[in-house]
Amino acid sequence: MFEPRKLHPISALINFVKTLKDAALPLIVVIFINGSPFSGDWNWVPLAIWGGLLVIVLGSGVIRWLRFSYWMEDGELRIEYGLIFRKKRYIPVERIQSLDFSEGIFHRPLKLVKVSVETAGATGTQGAEAELTAITREEAKELETLIFQQKRAAQEEETVEENAGEQPVEPPRQKVFGMTMKDLVLMAVTSGGAGVVISGVAVFFSQFMDILPVGAIYEELLDWIQIGVLMVAVTVLFVLLIAYGISILLTIMRYAYFSVYLEEEDLIITRGWLEKKQMTIPLNRIQGVRIDENLIRQPMGYASVTIISAGGSIMKNDEHQLKLLPMIRKKEIEAVLQMILEDYQVAGDFKQPPARSKYRYMIRQSWLGVLAAIPVSIYFYPYGLLAVPAVAALAGFGLLAYKDAGWTIDGTQLSLRSRNIIKQTYLMKRFRIQAASKKQTLLQKRSGLSTIQVTLTSGGGGAVARCYYLEEKDTDSVMGWYIDAVTNQKPVEK
Amino acid sequence: MNNQPAQRISKRALTLWRIYGVIHSFILLLITTALTVTVFLWEWPWWLAAGAGGLVVLDAVLFIWLIPGLRWKRWRYEVSEQNIDLQHGIFIITRTLVPMVRVQHVDTEQGPLLRKFRLSTISISTAATIHKIPALDEDEAERLRQSISSLARVAEDDV
Repeated sequence: MFEPRKLHPISALINFVKTLKDAALPLIVVIFINGSPFSGDWNWVPLAIWGGLLVIVLGSGVIRWLRFSYWMEDGELRIEYGLIFRKKRYIPVERIQSLDFSEGIFHRPLKLVKVSVETAGATGTQGAEAELTAITREEAKELETLIFQQKRAAQEEETVEENAGEQPVEPPRQKVFGMTMKDLVLMAVTSGGAGVVISGVAVFFSQFMDILPVGAIYEELLDWIQIGVLMVAVTVLFVLLIAYGISILLTIMRYAYFSVYLEEEDLIITRGWLEKKQMTIPLNRIQGVRIDENLIRQPMGYASVTIISAGGSIMKNDEHQLKLLPMIRKKEIEAVLQMILEDYQVAGDFKQPPARSKYRYMIRQSWLGVLAAIPVSIYFYPYGLLAVPAVAALAGFGLLAYKDAGWTIDGTQLSLRSRNIIKQTYLMKRFRIQAASKKQTLLQKRSGLSTIQVTLTSGGGGAVARCYYLEEKDTDSVMGWYIDAVTNQKPVEK
Repeated sequence: MNNQPAQRISKRALTLWRIYGVIHSFILLLITTALTVTVFLWEWPWWLAAGAGGLVVLDAVLFIWLIPGLRWKRWRYEVSEQNIDLQHGIFIITRTLVPMVRVQHVDTEQGPLLRKFRLSTISISTAATIHKIPALDEDEAERLRQSISSLARVAEDDV
C-alpha cells in the first residue's frame, strides 16, 4: 500500500458518464433552444461539434484516470491528481473520520467500490476530503484496515497507559437494525409525497362533484369551460400519481436492504438496491437524535429517527442529518436506540405549555392564512370564502401543535417536542448543546410565557430545536439546567 | 435567571445608531423626492407622494428617535468564567447563554464609522452559532476578546 496505486480503469468511464450527467441539462437546453442554426450543406457541423465535445469529455475522463494515484506514506493518505494542474492532497490518518463506500451500477458487476474519505476539517468547501472513484473491494478493505491500524497506533502513542501489546483484531460487527420489505413499502407509500397526492385527489374530487350538477344547468359554452377544467384536473391528477409512483420507487431503491451495524465506536449504515451505500459515523460525532412523526405515519404508530452529526464538509450537508431508523414502530425506538446510544432515553412524560398559550399557537399557525384569506374572500367573492375553512384548518394545526409541544429534562438530557407539520422530538445531551436562548415578546412577558431555543452542531450550520410559549419559569429552569456549571462538562472518556 | 446581565454596551452606540438612522432616512428621502418629481411630471395620483412622505417621517421617528434608545436599553451582556450571557431585542427579547467551553473563537471587527466612535463589534463563535455584541467600547472589546479566548477551552471531540 506504500506504492502509488491507480484506480480501476472503469473510473475513466465513470468520469465520462458523470461529466455527461452534470452537463446533460445545459446540453439539452442548448439543443432545444438553438434548434439548428446550420442548415443545408452545413447540417453536419452541429453533429461534429457534439461529437468533438464527447471525444474531449471522454478523453479528459481517461486522462484524469491516468493522472490519479493514491498511496499511504508517513501516516498520510496521499493523493495526486489533476487534469491540467497537478494537485496533491495529503490527508493525515488521524484527521480521517470515516471511509464511506458506495457501489453504483458500474461498480457492482466488477466488484468495485467508490470510497469517500470524510475528514473532520469544517473549513468549508475546501475541506480536505477525497474520493476514490473505483477501486476493488479488496483494495478498499486493505485501505480501511491500514488506516484503522495507523489511527489506532497514533492514538496509542497519545495514551500510553493503554496496553500497547494488543493486536488490532478485526472488530466485531453487530447488526442492530434492519428494515423489512413491509416496512420499506409502507415507508415509501407514506413519505412526504403522499400528502401532496392525497390533497391532489381531494381537489380533483371536489372539482368533479362541482361539475356533475352544474353541467346540466349551464350553457354549452360553460360546459366547454368545465370540460377544460376537468381535463386540467385529470392531467394534474395523473401527473401527481406518476410523480408519486416514481417517488415510491426511488425511495424503495434508495432504502432497500437498509441495515445499521455497530462496530466498536462506529455506526455503519448500509442501504441501496442498484447503488449500494455504506456510511460510517463515529459515535462520538453524534450530536443529538431527532424523532419525526409525519401526519400519515403518526396514527399508524410509526416514526423515523434521524441522527444529527457534526460532519466534515459543508458540501454534503444533507448527509449530516442522517436517517438512522427510517421507518420504525414508535414503541420499538427505545430498544434499538438503547443498543446504539445507550445514554439517550426516549423521554416519556413531557411538560406541556400552559393552557393560556393555546391561542398563541393557533394564531401562530394561522395569521398568515388570515392575512391571505381576507383579500381572497373579497376579490373572489363567493368561492373565495373557501379560504375560511382553510384558515380554520390552519388554526386546527395550531391546536395540534399546542397539544404536541413539550419539554422534559432527564439528568443530562433535554428533550424538546414540537410540531410545525411534522411532529419532531429532539433528544439532546447537555454537553452537545452549543447555545441556549430564551425568547419572549413584550406581550408574552406580561403573561409570563417564553420560548426556549437550543442549537446543536450539524455539518456546516446548526440544528435548532425549539419549544414555543412555555411557562416562563419552565424556560428559566431549562436555562438554569443548561448553565449548571458543575455537570456541564463532557463525561470523562472511558 | 431573572436578574438581567450586568454589563451595558457603550453609550456612544446610541449616537452611532442615530447616525445610521439619519443615513437610512436620508436615502429614503432621496427616493421620495424622486417619486414626488415623477408624480408631478406624469400626474400620477398624489397620494403616492403623500404616502411616501409619511413613510419617511415614520422611518425617521423610528430609526432616529425610538429604536436606538430601546435597543440600547435592552442590550446587556455579562461574561463570567463559565458563561457568556446576552440579552437583546426590542420587541422580541432574546436571552442567550453560551457556556465558555463551547466557544471556538472570538473576533472583533470595526467599520469606518465604528472606528470614528472608538467602538468595536465582538463576535463569539461556537461550533454551530455566532453571537455578536455590537458597538462595545474599543478597549472593552479588546479586553473581552482576550479574556474569552483565554477562558475558552473547547474539548476537541465535542464537535
